[in-house]
Amino acid sequence: MIPDVYVLGAALHPANVRLDECRLEELVYRTARAALDDAGVTRRQLDNVTLGASDEVDGRPISSMLLASPAGAYRADETRVSDSGATALCLAVARIASGDFNLGLVASWGKSSKTDPEKVMAARAEPFFTRPLGMNMRVADALFAQAVAHQHGVPEEEAATRAVGAYERAARNPRGVAHPIPSVDEVGASPVEAMPLRAGHRAPLTDGAACLVVASGRWLRRHPGNRPLARVAGVAWASDSYRLDGERLRSMGSARTAWSRALAQAGMTGDALDIVEVESPTSYHEAAYARVFESDGARLSPSGGTFAQNPLVCAGLVNAVEAVLQLSGRAGPVQQPGVRRAAAHSCHGYAQQGNVVVVLEGDGSA
Amino acid sequence: MRHVMHQELTLHYDYALGEVAGTFLDGLRQKKILASHCSASKLSYLPPRAFCERTFERCEGWVEAGAEGIIEASTIVVRGFEGKRPPPVAIAFVRLDGVDSAIANYVDGVDLADLDEAMRRLAPGTRVRVEFVDRPEGRITDFSFRPIDNQPG
Amino acid sequence: MSWCWKGTGVPEAVGVIAAFQTDYRSQHPDVTFVEQAQEAAAGAMAAAGMRPDDIEAVVFSLAPTFFMGVADADRWAIDHVFAAGKPFFRIHTGGATGGSAVHAGYALVRSGMYRTVMIVGAERIGETPDAQHVLNLIFDPFYERDMPLSTNTSVALMATRYMQRHGVTQEDLARVVVRQRRNALRNPHAHLKGEITVADVMASPMIAYPMKLYDICPRSSGSAAMILGNADVIDGFQTRPAFINGIGSVTDTYWIGDRLVPSADAEIAELGLAAVSAAECFRRAGITDPFAEVQVAELYDPYSVVGYLQLEQLGFCATGKAARLEDDGVWDVDGGAVAVNPSGGTLCSNPIAISGLARCIDAANQVMGTAGAMQLPGVHTAVATAVGGIAQFHNMTVFGDDHVEFEES
Repeated sequence: MIPDVYVLGAALHPANVRLDECRLEELVYRTARAALDDAGVTRRQLDNVTLGASDEVDGRPISSMLLASPAGAYRADETRVSDSGATALCLAVARIASGDFNLGLVASWGKSSKTDPEKVMAARAEPFFTRPLGMNMRVADALFAQAVAHQHGVPEEEAATRAVGAYERAARNPRGVAHPIPSVDEVGASPVEAMPLRAGHRAPLTDGAACLVVASGRWLRRHPGNRPLARVAGVAWASDSYRLDGERLRSMGSARTAWSRALAQAGMTGDALDIVEVESPTSYHEAAYARVFESDGARLSPSGGTFAQNPLVCAGLVNAVEAVLQLSGRAGPVQQPGVRRAAAHSCHGYAQQGNVVVVLEGDGSA
Repeated sequence: MRHVMHQELTLHYDYALGEVAGTFLDGLRQKKILASHCSASKLSYLPPRAFCERTFERCEGWVEAGAEGIIEASTIVVRGFEGKRPPPVAIAFVRLDGVDSAIANYVDGVDLADLDEAMRRLAPGTRVRVEFVDRPEGRITDFSFRPIDNQPG
Repeated sequence: MSWCWKGTGVPEAVGVIAAFQTDYRSQHPDVTFVEQAQEAAAGAMAAAGMRPDDIEAVVFSLAPTFFMGVADADRWAIDHVFAAGKPFFRIHTGGATGGSAVHAGYALVRSGMYRTVMIVGAERIGETPDAQHVLNLIFDPFYERDMPLSTNTSVALMATRYMQRHGVTQEDLARVVVRQRRNALRNPHAHLKGEITVADVMASPMIAYPMKLYDICPRSSGSAAMILGNADVIDGFQTRPAFINGIGSVTDTYWIGDRLVPSADAEIAELGLAAVSAAECFRRAGITDPFAEVQVAELYDPYSVVGYLQLEQLGFCATGKAARLEDDGVWDVDGGAVAVNPSGGTLCSNPIAISGLARCIDAANQVMGTAGAMQLPGVHTAVATAVGGIAQFHNMTVFGDDHVEFEES
């Protein structure tokens, strides 16, 4: 069966390394408001809101208390997942597909600058075996990079080349943060953070927010004046073991599962996709996903992905918005020609413990 | 014997004041309480915020709250927290004149020795006035409430 | 095992196949957080006669991990709840989390995306002494953290307003504590239980006026899990499921001061928000007269006043009347018109991350006939609620012994 769920509107908050002039509530309000305007619907028409947010990133023990209303959830059926914004999109799709809801907003955000992300990531380590060793994002990504390098024979030169390539694509994306583009040599000579990961391999963290408005086919048939931007063809998500042994790191089981299931729901094979927006916290991630998803070159993250913007928690939902923009012909300078089928990917947790894939289809008008 | 591992976690955060909180806290320094106003809903809000939940439009105006208001809800905290005023303390949500929503703060000038009697004096419907400290710092604690027809202490 | 999205476009019937709860205590020092979660996952599967491969997706129920001292502790628990490799996410809506998690699991099955879902979670609030400090941090950093605002003081504010409006006294509110602690004597899992009197409640230390120690829930640790399935799966595993016939959930503004003023859309002192989620939930379930059609209500009541407010807003009685009806035994398990919290409710056990899930489990058990010593005869329909934030999130679930499908207009 084909899910009868559509994307009606999409919005990104202007990205920056540091968005100090607004507090989180304002960041989210602006983005949610922009998505509603893009969809041509009002907040009151929503019957559900699905949030993707992390308390420890936001600095509030129940972050959705303050952030629900800014995301349009006032007197709506609102819920929150903590895994990622892309995960929230999956749940939102399920809610619409259940028939109980017809018009939803998905919102996610991350102000990486307001806290020390590595301290937050370190807090995710269980206290007995890994926390005493200083486990955090950097260390977990380094272990993953090592596993990827061995499993797929990725030389360090490729990690450097991919980082530069991503920066170059990102530089053409008006929605990205204008990072300077390093040279391959500069990346290769950048400080080692944890072997084999160098600073130049890691996508810089930024601040941002993303929102999508999703609607059921039933809602669209009742509102013929609203045209969808894309159809949700398939969604899938999965999580690997919390362990970081070699087998877990090399196998990338949850990435493969999410990829194959989303495509199967969509009734497609991977090569039918025109673009794939991948969440790559490091260029080793990109090397891995390019192989596992068999997507490279012009197809791979034309937006520049995380090297354009990399807000904690919501980078995957940013990818979904970028994919929607591609499908609706609004991606601007990074627009790829004739995009009819796109996938957005997200990863979260230590060493991409969790992966999400959303497959979207346009109507060909892009 | 119970085996436990003791750890302490410290997380640091920079909370951006944003568009609105800065104006409000600056107003406190001038002994003013500023409420945000939404022209679409015609509602004025304390604490101030950048947008109106009902209309989902920006609050583009400011209204100075009156110097008096009415207690909507109150309580006396008997077991308190470190870093706050030592208990017992009275707090109340007060709807100041000219503002549609209520803001919380401490209530001074009520003898808390007899809780039941004190709560009668703090009952919803009681009118209070705003009192500022001599040297406001731009924190919510720059002001407190005091029942109007009450003798201090 | 086929995972393909079956979705026929017709919403699936969703039923509870089995559930499991551990005992709720201040601490469980013999297990870690993840081992705690595993007890519930394994227990639910054993109760269902299922193996890990029978569970297609997992929803983890977990509220603030600041209590746990391990951020996103759900990720640590993935292996322990047999979820490695599976679709897995965590729901967090404060106190309402357990109910929201059930609703999320319900959506996964109802949509046809997955045929079985396990909702599982654990609470270890006893591992930190700083729970109230953590709860103070949920408030706005600029306007409210300097105040001794907390869940206790916020409910105290609600209570003073409610009591004044409706002439309800502290003694009136104390009655629910007496009844539910007595009910909890039949609940092997309950944290607090026993025969107490209104005088005992009145004599307990004042925390935030008028809420006294006995008006307030304990801080409980424990774990729970519930397995949902579609009609095909139910046929294979459970002859007497509890169908989820209705869901309703609504979120209010964060600002307490917006909600206790004349312009409030939902008066917080009456928990007016509960009427909104209940209306949607009952509509979906085709229930028009809760008092006549619902036999058991498992209400999320971390404070004495909160249970009464929900009885009123859910339509079991008029506003301001719930406490008075205690005198007539209306809410009693033995001979009452509607049995309220036969489990003892959240007043007797509050493992925050899973309290809403526990309410759902206790309600479903009554419908399924698996409530043990708490079992009431002739339960066809039971409701469960959960409340989160400062009365900001409210959700409700209707469980029935027959599947009901309402017609979309």
